Amino acid sequence: MSRQINHDFRSFARRSLLSPRRAMARGLSRNLAMVLLVMVFSAEAGIGLLVFHDLSRSYSEMQRMYDRSVRGLRQIGEMQYQSQETRRSTLYALTTNDANLQVGYCDMSRAADRGVKKGISEYLAQASAPQELAAGRVLAADWNDYLKVRDDVLGRILEASTKEAVEVDLAYGVPKFEKVSQDLEAVKQLYDRQATQELVTVAKFSQRALIRLIAVLGFCLLFGSLAVLAIQRAQLQSERHIAKLQMDFVAAVSHELRTPVATIFSAAENIRDGLPQQREKFMEQGAVITHYASQLNELVDQVLSFTTTAEGKPWHAVGALAVSEIVETALDNASGLLKEAGIGVEKKIDPGLPMVAGDLGSLSRCLQNLIVNAAKYGGADRWIGLVAEIDDSGVGPQVSIRVEDHGIGICDRELPFVFDPFFRSAQVVDAQIRGTGLGLAIAKRSAEAFGGTLSVESQIGIGSVFTLRLPAFSRAQETNLDAGIPAENLEVRQ
Amino acid sequence: MRAQFGRLASRVYLLNGKAALTNQLTIRSMAVLIVVAGLCSSRSTRAEFSPANRSHPGVSLAIVVNLANPINNLSSDELRSLFLERKSHWPNGRRIAVAMLDYQYPERRSALRQIYHMDEDAFQEYFIKAIFRGDVFAAPRTLASPEMLRKFVFNAPGAIGYLRSSDLDDTVKVVKIDGRLPDDKNYSLQIDEPAEE
Repeated sequence: MSRQINHDFRSFARRSLLSPRRAMARGLSRNLAMVLLVMVFSAEAGIGLLVFHDLSRSYSEMQRMYDRSVRGLRQIGEMQYQSQETRRSTLYALTTNDANLQVGYCDMSRAADRGVKKGISEYLAQASAPQELAAGRVLAADWNDYLKVRDDVLGRILEASTKEAVEVDLAYGVPKFEKVSQDLEAVKQLYDRQATQELVTVAKFSQRALIRLIAVLGFCLLFGSLAVLAIQRAQLQSERHIAKLQMDFVAAVSHELRTPVATIFSAAENIRDGLPQQREKFMEQGAVITHYASQLNELVDQVLSFTTTAEGKPWHAVGALAVSEIVETALDNASGLLKEAGIGVEKKIDPGLPMVAGDLGSLSRCLQNLIVNAAKYGGADRWIGLVAEIDDSGVGPQVSIRVEDHGIGICDRELPFVFDPFFRSAQVVDAQIRGTGLGLAIAKRSAEAFGGTLSVESQIGIGSVFTLRLPAFSRAQETNLDAGIPAENLEVRQ
Repeated sequence: MRAQFGRLASRVYLLNGKAALTNQLTIRSMAVLIVVAGLCSSRSTRAEFSPANRSHPGVSLAIVVNLANPINNLSSDELRSLFLERKSHWPNGRRIAVAMLDYQYPERRSALRQIYHMDEDAFQEYFIKAIFRGDVFAAPRTLASPEMLRKFVFNAPGAIGYLRSSDLDDTVKVVKIDGRLPDDKNYSLQIDEPAEE
């Protein structure tokens, strides 16, 4: 039983947290968590794209830089080699007197020279920066100057003027070639500088990508933590609310138990002490004991009913019942309260109503709860309307039983929760009207157990109308059979 | 080759008529030996190349100089004088470098006959003596092929050589001889010897 009550506390807590103020708070918490998660996801996706963009850009930049640097350095290296080869071949020609070998060295020198010229042309063609163009032009000019000396030296070698060739080479060739070497070094340095600048750019991209990556991780951590915090907070609120409901229920039940028990105890003490001398007084004490014992019985019945009802499942044998029988039984059961409160019931039962399916005890208690509710909150009019009629609004034939009052009414925001177990409106609690918050929940469960429905319409200050709709027997019987109720549990009561 | 080198070396010593050489003679003798050795080596190695059927009687022998050489016309006597290296420098100051084709080329024999008025042995003897005496700075350079000779002339501003008309290109300058170009009528230098196999 306690497990069932605990379960209902939790389900009600979940629903009741959706009550206007709490629903808003819970919605905010839950939405906040969702919003945070969506933000985290969006931020991850957005910054992830940026990081990807940066990384791919730095990759392409690095590839471009590598291509350019490698090509450039290879070009410079080739030019350096070919220039050395030009000079080397020229010097080789000095080492022999064989004119054929000398001519061969001349050819080698000129071939290498063409390689250098080609390299310079390519460099100038691809150079874009002013420094590059200037360096290329200086290199071309110095190379041409050196070639003039080279040609002179080669000519003198071939003319057998070796000594003069050496003198010319030392006087002009060496400095000119040195200048060419410096020019090539300058071009190489330009490449190095450019590569360094591009490396800085790539490093900048990589650094930016890294910072963004750290940012996204930090962002995810922060908002993930906030989301978890919000979810935990919502769960904590839910747990607190459940605890509060349990406390409220225990307090209400305790109060409901203590009052009659104390009264019965007091009356019993009076009788024990022989205080009621007269027969009328004695009977009066007995009536008090009977009344409060009945109240206790009713409370225990209510709690037991609640715990033994499971949503949508009948717990008694289903039989065909006359609507009038249900109404009369309910009115009989509530007669004491109605009489005590001085409430008049205006009853209107259509003749020829079909039989309905159900258990008399359950359905009469269901209706009785509605009547008691109307009596409790019916207001100063002390009037309850009770109408039973054919209802064509459903799929099949059904009977509706309306319980109306001119009471305080229920506000719109509380209407969705009135059938929740343990729900008691703030207005009722403030008015210190006793109750456990189980009556309407039990009524709704009873109606639904037999394929019926229970609904409410209400306006503050005007009153409430509770409508119990029960399917006609034939349909209900089929429903119950479909629900697996043994055939022997079905009986027809006239 | 060694025997030939030895004979030439002995000839040098005989020409001097002295058994003991002075320092100067030693230097000159060594220079001559180097030249002779060069000539011999060229003769032996280049003999491997056998230009097939290059000689066509009546084909002109063009005299070529470097493109930078201002000379355009030479008389037959001037030409002979240049090839004999009686002059050491051109008017522009560059040293004259005579280029000869290798021994098996008919162009060489035609040049020897028509320019030097010598045969091969006389040519060798002339230059050995001239070098030894110090009249000539260096013996004519022997090139292995017309292509090599053309490249030699192209690279050496003071070079002068000969090529048959069909071996000419624009890397060298053809000089008129007695006012005539190789294609002109009555051009004096002709390759008139049949080809060697």
